[in-house]
Amino acid sequence: MSTVYTRPLARLIDRLQRLPGVGAKTAQRLALHLLKQPDEEVAALAQALLEAKQQVGHCTQCFHLSAEPVCEICLDPQRDSAVICVVTDSRDVIALEKTREYRGLYHVLGGVISPMEGIGPDQLTVQPLVRRVSQTMVKEVILAISPTLEGETTILYLGRLLQPFTHVTRIAFGLPVGGDLEYADELTLAKALEGRRPLD
Amino acid sequence: MFLKHLHLQGFRNYPDQALDFMAPTTILLGDNAQGKSNLLEAVLLLAHLQSPRAGRDQELIQQGAEWAVLRATLDRQPEPIDLGLTLRQNGRRSMSRNHQPVRRQIDFLGHLNTVFFSCLDLDLVRGGPAGRRDWLDGILRQLEPIYHNLLQDYQQALRQRNALLRAEVVDPEVLQLWNGQLVQTGTRLMRRRWRLLHRLAPLAALWHSRLSQTQETLEITYAPSVPTSSDEPEAIVAAFWAKLEARAEVERHQATTLVGPHRDEVVLALNQTPARQYGSQGQQRTLVLALKLAELHLLEAVLGETPILLLDDVLAELDLKRQHQLLAVIQDRFQTLITTTHLGLFDPQWLCSTQILEVSQGRLRPSVTPVLGLE
Ligand SMILES: Nc1ncnc2c1ncn2[C@@H]1O[C@H](COP(=O)(O)OP(=O)(O)OP(=O)(O)O)[C@@H](O)[C@H]1O
Ligand SMILES: [Mg+2]
Ligand SMILES: [Zn+2]
Repeated sequence: MSTVYTRPLARLIDRLQRLPGVGAKTAQRLALHLLKQPDEEVAALAQALLEAKQQVGHCTQCFHLSAEPVCEICLDPQRDSAVICVVTDSRDVIALEKTREYRGLYHVLGGVISPMEGIGPDQLTVQPLVRRVSQTMVKEVILAISPTLEGETTILYLGRLLQPFTHVTRIAFGLPVGGDLEYADELTLAKALEGRRPLD
Repeated sequence: MFLKHLHLQGFRNYPDQALDFMAPTTILLGDNAQGKSNLLEAVLLLAHLQSPRAGRDQELIQQGAEWAVLRATLDRQPEPIDLGLTLRQNGRRSMSRNHQPVRRQIDFLGHLNTVFFSCLDLDLVRGGPAGRRDWLDGILRQLEPIYHNLLQDYQQALRQRNALLRAEVVDPEVLQLWNGQLVQTGTRLMRRRWRLLHRLAPLAALWHSRLSQTQETLEITYAPSVPTSSDEPEAIVAAFWAKLEARAEVERHQATTLVGPHRDEVVLALNQTPARQYGSQGQQRTLVLALKLAELHLLEAVLGETPILLLDDVLAELDLKRQHQLLAVIQDRFQTLITTTHLGLFDPQWLCSTQILEVSQGRLRPSVTPVLGLE
């Protein structure tokens, strides 16, 4: 690469290529596009990147991405605080919000139990979840976790932990084999929410 | 079922070759390293999405090419099927069935069924248990394409559990959950292997007694890591948990999973003696032939279609008597692709009704002797 591109360009392409879903060709196209932009445009992009990184953290209640200590969803008085939907990732919150079907709160686990990646219950937001459920009036916890092997294991683990405190259900996915929550369309998700069933 | 048409582009040493199969038996004739086995490999890949000898798709793509395309047209009940597979340097594959893209492997698998027999199969007798497990798994994938996913699930559960056993601190509750996953996914494999061997063993014994001149009896037994006397899920699950408990300490110590179908064995015995020790080369070859014929007939019985038989260099290694026995079984009932370096060993009478193709540096042409079409 170093012989084809002048040094700073090579560095930019290399950085872009580290982004998910960006291959060599796309990285090159993006980089060349950026170089053609006015200085202000590029500066604005750089600033947006830095600010997002510096200002966006996690909601202290539900661990969804948030610039404030408590996120907008948790603060919304219209929402039903007696129902908590447990998801793997902030992306899942966004996907479920798009359905406009769900009016309860969320809890973002930050992953699923996967010994191969060194992720056990302690690496996830399990303890804060148990605290939330045991200390507030929660009528139902919905586990909306993809039914992979690791997802199922996590569902079983959380079920055992939470059932003493509240009613636990899981979302009945009609997802394709190996499918991700993120890729399910809004209609599928809305239907799945309706068809949730108690954990046995 | 009958494979009518095959088209390879950028695959191994084939730049671009289309070919029509015109007879039940096709002989691929050529010197060493010309592409005979490569052609069989292409058929296997379309059938199983796996190659018996390539680890990565890069090896399968012609050197210097970006991608390879394999296409097949298959006559089978209730209607013909077109299969397409594209391989790329970056490892991404795309599949199509009847010219429609197919996303999931299980929707692609199970249409083209094969029985493959090469000289490497002697390892079924001589080699370790892993080869015999792979053999069983290969048959099960054809009988029931979902087996592919079941096997992947088990392997994933096994990897996760091994990772957990290697961790410095093991949360007993989490271990218990992964034990549950191992038992659940493992039981699915064990039941299927048990049922398969239950049906395969008598067929193999029958073929073996027909093929061998002596009175030896072949016995095939499933020796699972978790002892079980039936395919009842409850019984297997209970035995699985019991053995996990019994081996818990050793597993912790060795930091790996010692119980489960990844440790299954299939015992091949001739007159109550392990075939590995008992058999001469010739006897072992007869045994493997019996296994393959059993596989062929079982697939036919279960699928209601005749699978395609792929013989890579093995015919020449059999003595004339067994060659004739094999050819008598095949007759015109099973479509068969045979590779060989010379025709001398074949019965001239039989050659008359076969399609003979000469393979040279990744190109095919009809043999000058009996001519049966080529595109
Ligand atoms: N990716 C590839 N690109 C180009 N050529 C390849 C590729 N992979 C294998 N080959 C070539 O294919 C040839 C081997 O073909 P094949 O294994 O089909 O031989 P064969 O005709 O079965 O020979 P034998 O009689 O020795 O078994 C070799 O010449 C090898 O270099
Ligand atoms: Mg060969
Ligand atoms: Zn929140």
